[in-house]
Amino acid sequence: MSTLRSCVRYTRLLRRCYTRYNSTQATAPRIPSLPDQATWSEVFPVYAVSTLRDRVFVRKPETAAKLAESFLSDQLTTEGRPKVVIETYPGPGVLSRALLELPHSKLRKLIILEDQPEFTPYLEELQAVDPRVTVIKKSGYAWDAYTQIVQQGLMDDVQVVPWENGIHPELHFISHLPLNIMGEQLIAQFLRCIPERSWLFHYGRVPMSIIIGEWLWQRMTAPPGNKHRCKLSVVTEATIECTLSVPRTTVLPYDTHFWPQSIRSATQEKRPESRRSGQPMMPLNLVPLVKPLIGLGKLDQWDFILRRLFVLKSTPIKRSIGSLAPGASTLLKSLVDPLLPLDEQVDVSKASRDLTTRDWEMIARAFDKWPFAPVDLQIDPNVGKDRHMVDSKLRR
Amino acid sequence: MQGFLRRRTPYTILPTPLPAETGSSALNDLYFTDSPTQDAVSVMDACLHNLYDVPRAKHIFEQLRSEGRGDTFLDARVYNSLIDAYLKMVSAPTTQDREMWLNSAWELYNGMEEGREKAHPTANTYALMLLAYLRFHPDSMQAGDAAVRCGAETHDPESMLRHIIEHQIPVSLVVADRAFQSSEEANEVIRLLSRAAVNMGLAKVVNELGMAESLGRQGLDPLEDVPEAIPVMKPKKPSINVIHSEDGSVVDIDVSESPEIETEIPFNLDTLRKHLSQVVFARRVMPDDVAARQKLLEDSVYDVAVKQMEHQAKMLEDLGLDNQRGLKHVDLQTWMWAWHQKLQVRLAAEIQNLVEEEHRLGGEYLYMAQRSPSSNVAYSDKVKHALSPFLTLLKPEKLSLITILELMNLQGTGGVSDGMKTARALLGVGRAVELEHKAQMCKKNNIAIPQSQFARADTSIFTRLGYRDLQARRVAARKYMEDAEDWTSDWSQLVRVKVGGFLVDCLMDVATVTRSLADAKGEEVYSEEQPAFFHSYEYVRGHKLGVIKLNPVVAERMARDRIKTTLHPRHLPMLIKPKPWLGPDQGGYLFNKTAAMRFKDSVEQLNYLRHASAAGNLELIYASLDVLGSTPWKINRGIFEIVLSVWNSGKRMCKIPPIVSDLPEPERPENYDTDQHARSIFLQRHKLYSQQKANNHSDRCSVNYKIEIARAFLGDTIYMPHNVDFRGRAYPVPPHLSHIGDDLSRGLLLFGEGKPLGERGFWWLKVHLANLYGFDKGSFDERIAFVEQHLEDIYDSVDHPLDGRMWWTKADDPWQCLATCMEIKAAIDSGDPHSYECSLPIHQDGTCNGLQHYAALGGDAQGAAQVNLAVTDRPSDVYTFVADMVEERLREDLAKGNKQARLLIGKVARKVVKQTVMTTVYGVTFIGARAQIEKQLAARGDIPAEECWEASAYLAKHVLGSIGDLFRGAKDIQLWLTSCARLIAKSIPAERVPNACGVVEEKKRGRAAAKKSPEARLKMEQMTSVVWTTPLGLPIVQPYRTTKRKQIMTGLQTVFISDPNQPSSVNSMKQATAFPPNFIHSLDATHMMLTALECRAQGLTFASVHDSYWTHAGDIDKMSVIIRDTFIALHSSDVLNKLHEEFRERYKGYKVPIAALRGTPALKKALALARVNSDEVSRVAGNDAPEKEPELALSEGEDVEAGSAEEVEDAPKKRRALPRKPKAAPEDEQDPSEDGFYTGRFVDLLDVLPDVPQKGDFDVKTIKKSLYFFS
Repeated sequence: MSTLRSCVRYTRLLRRCYTRYNSTQATAPRIPSLPDQATWSEVFPVYAVSTLRDRVFVRKPETAAKLAESFLSDQLTTEGRPKVVIETYPGPGVLSRALLELPHSKLRKLIILEDQPEFTPYLEELQAVDPRVTVIKKSGYAWDAYTQIVQQGLMDDVQVVPWENGIHPELHFISHLPLNIMGEQLIAQFLRCIPERSWLFHYGRVPMSIIIGEWLWQRMTAPPGNKHRCKLSVVTEATIECTLSVPRTTVLPYDTHFWPQSIRSATQEKRPESRRSGQPMMPLNLVPLVKPLIGLGKLDQWDFILRRLFVLKSTPIKRSIGSLAPGASTLLKSLVDPLLPLDEQVDVSKASRDLTTRDWEMIARAFDKWPFAPVDLQIDPNVGKDRHMVDSKLRR
Repeated sequence: MQGFLRRRTPYTILPTPLPAETGSSALNDLYFTDSPTQDAVSVMDACLHNLYDVPRAKHIFEQLRSEGRGDTFLDARVYNSLIDAYLKMVSAPTTQDREMWLNSAWELYNGMEEGREKAHPTANTYALMLLAYLRFHPDSMQAGDAAVRCGAETHDPESMLRHIIEHQIPVSLVVADRAFQSSEEANEVIRLLSRAAVNMGLAKVVNELGMAESLGRQGLDPLEDVPEAIPVMKPKKPSINVIHSEDGSVVDIDVSESPEIETEIPFNLDTLRKHLSQVVFARRVMPDDVAARQKLLEDSVYDVAVKQMEHQAKMLEDLGLDNQRGLKHVDLQTWMWAWHQKLQVRLAAEIQNLVEEEHRLGGEYLYMAQRSPSSNVAYSDKVKHALSPFLTLLKPEKLSLITILELMNLQGTGGVSDGMKTARALLGVGRAVELEHKAQMCKKNNIAIPQSQFARADTSIFTRLGYRDLQARRVAARKYMEDAEDWTSDWSQLVRVKVGGFLVDCLMDVATVTRSLADAKGEEVYSEEQPAFFHSYEYVRGHKLGVIKLNPVVAERMARDRIKTTLHPRHLPMLIKPKPWLGPDQGGYLFNKTAAMRFKDSVEQLNYLRHASAAGNLELIYASLDVLGSTPWKINRGIFEIVLSVWNSGKRMCKIPPIVSDLPEPERPENYDTDQHARSIFLQRHKLYSQQKANNHSDRCSVNYKIEIARAFLGDTIYMPHNVDFRGRAYPVPPHLSHIGDDLSRGLLLFGEGKPLGERGFWWLKVHLANLYGFDKGSFDERIAFVEQHLEDIYDSVDHPLDGRMWWTKADDPWQCLATCMEIKAAIDSGDPHSYECSLPIHQDGTCNGLQHYAALGGDAQGAAQVNLAVTDRPSDVYTFVADMVEERLREDLAKGNKQARLLIGKVARKVVKQTVMTTVYGVTFIGARAQIEKQLAARGDIPAEECWEASAYLAKHVLGSIGDLFRGAKDIQLWLTSCARLIAKSIPAERVPNACGVVEEKKRGRAAAKKSPEARLKMEQMTSVVWTTPLGLPIVQPYRTTKRKQIMTGLQTVFISDPNQPSSVNSMKQATAFPPNFIHSLDATHMMLTALECRAQGLTFASVHDSYWTHAGDIDKMSVIIRDTFIALHSSDVLNKLHEEFRERYKGYKVPIAALRGTPALKKALALARVNSDEVSRVAGNDAPEKEPELALSEGEDVEAGSAEEVEDAPKKRRALPRKPKAAPEDEQDPSEDGFYTGRFVDLLDVLPDVPQKGDFDVKTIKKSLYFFS
């Protein structure tokens, strides 16, 4: 195996010499290509480095080109100005390469966040040949990676655009999402930054293009009444507009377009559906709503309400609402108040799963007005951790 | 003692339970009764109570008998309860068919007499039948009474007397039986029997009856408990010779002299019973007046609570304050009173409804069943799980109170701040109802309480004779207690949860509080009536968890108000010496059933305990628990007063948390809104802050309990009943205030008696102070010098505890330190310190006690030196040693500019590494070590919350690295223990091999099972847990099995509980990794118990907290000798070889699948065997399993084990995702890796069990001279 690897390294070296030779000839730098896909199972050893198993990325350059085009040319996400793109989880950079193929008029800067040592060499190659590229060896999951982008001055030329003035004309966020729990958390976190206008949304309504697994996509976009309807669906609906950037067929079947190769094994069967390898991938364009339903500073309340009430997702709200806090049943009064305009009343016989985002907004509003609404909205930090006294009490 | 420990320990061996999917076998059912049967039995019990529904009980009983189910439950006591109920039905005013009930009683009796039933008649049976004869038989009728005709064959007194004599039951026991409710009837029966005996010419019996009558007519001797009473005053007693059989039961009573009858005193049944217990059982019972207060305490808890609440409510009403709810005048008691008022009414109504409904359904069912007994009428769910019999056991008032108190009490458990887990709460309430019912049954017959039997002057209990004597006396006392109590059955978890669900649901519906908001001026601006409790769900690690929470205003009160009313006596110390342990559930509190062993839902452990107890293997365990329980304590008044004033001030001081958390709230950073990084740091800090705030609240509640209890017992001598955990470690039962608690609890306690210090005692008192202060690493001389230097500080601490230099508050254990300061000052001030009577317990602690045992087991000289087994001038401290090593490594890293090192340098105190070092020898994993260290770092408070995780991971790496092979000797033994346990947990009994291979298919398994892969089938069969016996004879069963939870719908929430009666396959990973620590703990527990027994024999007061042994200062030297002697005796008994021997005996014939040996040294051995002798490794024919799966499936199987929901943190996570070695790697050459080879092949467990590691040359006797072994 080690011989194989060094062999690969050798070819890479050769190719680099060749590229360099070429680049002196042409005016536009040639983008160094990736090793032959036949060798990928050795270069990106999914079995040896388990974190790589979940790191799905586009493998086919043609597909990557189509995606790059769909991300940066879509009406929804662009205004025609050259873009500053922050790309996370690029893998070895098939999509990054496709982005760089775009002219300067479309892409003026590409900031890549990647910390996986198997991938970074192929990204640094890009940085070497194209001045538009900056690679930061940090995971897109770590918040301080974004702090570092700012600290390195990479955002100095990006202006803050008032929220109401349309989408941000320059800044754009692109990411593959890993098929693990971090991926799920990440998208939820991004959405939660919108009402608070934190993170990149500090600069305005920054469009995002994200490639996610089908399962997560179903959850994000499940309408009321759908069995996948969950907290994430509501938050998505309340904060962002979400479309497929290309037809599904463009990226199907999985194995033709994506890496790593799908695995069929008993282990995979045991994984939760959301993280199963080989599921179709969905390229999405996301644009923050001009008026997110979740108001500034109300995020924690929404989180709390949704978390609690989705535990009992098929129980009618009139029964489950009591589990919000002691005495919370009193909120029902203000939800069905006949004095309210019809569209502000909530049908409390509906279950959490069937409520529209508008319904949620009304519940959140009533909760906010209730004088006894709990203030500390975090999950009980100690649940599950037994303390000694308790144990001895029980053992009797 | 050495001889005793060297003997072959008697083993308790029970069959391995069968997999749940399998049908059943007679043997299995004998030990593992299923829950439905237990439910049926408990419903029957409840129906019998107060004649609630005797027809139904009768029906269940007959069904159980005809199906042969529940034979283990149906003993003579159950038969007697039924006969008793039948007879009561005959005279019950509502009964229609008196004849039928009388017939049934006689028929049941005849069945027992003629051997048609499994149970034989007992004294109680005869007493009942004699009553039946007396009350209903035409021959004994007075004129005017109507006899009840009876179709069944009846017996006259003569016939019954013949049977009584045949069964070797003393007639005096029959006439004193609890069946007799009145002295008249008892007297009447004596007359009947006497006449029969005269007719039959049985002079001896006539004598005995005469004696009984005379005993009943004697006045009680007022001087009976005064040892030096003058004999002249005593009335003449007949000389009675009692003959005991082997098991200690009474065989015969020989009365040699006819007593004079004093006719002027009327016959009194109670008197007879009391005398008999003394004469017949050759034991003393506690005088009533001594037990009275404890009886009252246990008796009236709920009544007292009601009285207090009522009083409070009334007082407020009188003051006109009750309308001002929501203001600070209202306190917990007032609320509770209000809830209680509403709840009892509600319960009465709800239960009445339920009773009617279930009666109707049950009646229909019974009618159907009786009409066509052959057809199996299906139980409807309502009938099967009828609740009304259980809910009517207690009055609604009591149910209401139990529910309220129990919920208040459980708040803050399970890590839920201001609340509790629903499943736990419902079980808790259900169990409390069960216990209260049982306590009532215990109290019903006014039993005299036996006294502890292990007296100082006894012949050594370590001799065969002494041991047998101890056993005989316990058995006799147990029989006496059992005979005197009404039979009750245990409830299943299902019943408990359902009962709890019903009650809690009602409570939540009615209990409300008024909550109000005040503005800045304190004026009420808004108020709302809210439920006092509410329930909700949380997601914890992907699991839905039901919780019940207290309304914030109620929770707040819990940390302020006086809360003693919420405490049940089983949470309190006792006022008299605990009832001696007579059996697995007999001992401790007088009426509240206490288990001798704490375990969670493991019926297997209970079975082993019962059998060991019945076989007489636990005498010394019981005896040492009695010793621990009989240590008298009192509250340290001086400390209590200071604690109280600190508490009342509401300020933080020495582990007493402040009323309002004084921790600074983290500041929100300026760029909170924009910088996600800064924001997440802030959120982490804030989370830690709210966690600490919640902890502050729960600490406050816990201190509140301690203070309340201490206050209640000021001036009393108190006792702590003890029981053991499943490894045999002893714990005091009261959970709140006991010497096992924290520094504050310990500071509040003193021994009940003082003893003069003497010169050495005064010296030890000073050493003790140095130890408590934290100056415990120096030599003894240095410690003494330390105290001498600080005399002024000591005086200042005592004189100005709260307004002086506060020297004592800087001690490691401040409250105990202050208590010691007080004693030192008092001793010096007395003018003659040596004769000063001091009752402060002085501790002797083992140095890393686990390692001490390992070193002694392995004869490991290096290890011995590290933990003070060897003779040294100064104490050796391995924690400091490791901490220094780590600090050294950090310095190296710092030089390289490491960020973590910079953060941590100078902060790696001994305390940070202590737990990890201690647990390395118990096999702590990196995950575990990191978590321990994180906790320590967080506690230091000087490391930012967001850094703790990474810093602890970094530090854990260095700590584990530094420990390295510091404990070589321990590691070898640990490895040996683990490999043995691993093999055992993978083994299956020989007779299950065909099933495991799928050759035999059980019907019940059905299609799904047939399709299972060979590995899955094998896993299902793995039911063998690791069981061993401690040198004192206690069988220890590791309970780790896969958890199967069943969903139960209750009125309140759906809860998930496990069914302990449903055995599931073992968690072999946990069985293996947990074995070394459990084994070592079973040894340290043995050492402690030996020491306790020996201390009692030598008249020392003794208490212990695991490896910390306490006695009076003046007796420390004596105890030191005992500690060393018992340790030497224990380790001279060849512990490991005996364990090996036991395994060979216990697991004889067990088979291990070869596949399970992969990756262990045992594989080669097994394969060699396979080649030499093809019979040994038998491949079972008929296996048509596919050829390739095994390897993969096996390793995944283990993955699943490691991930079992609840234990995630404990499970070692060593799984690597590296690609497997190519199949043809050179070292595997001998391994026929053709995958199919392993399938269906087994090897004898005994053939692959590894040999005991070689012992080193350290002689454990050296410790006699080691000063710091325990110090």
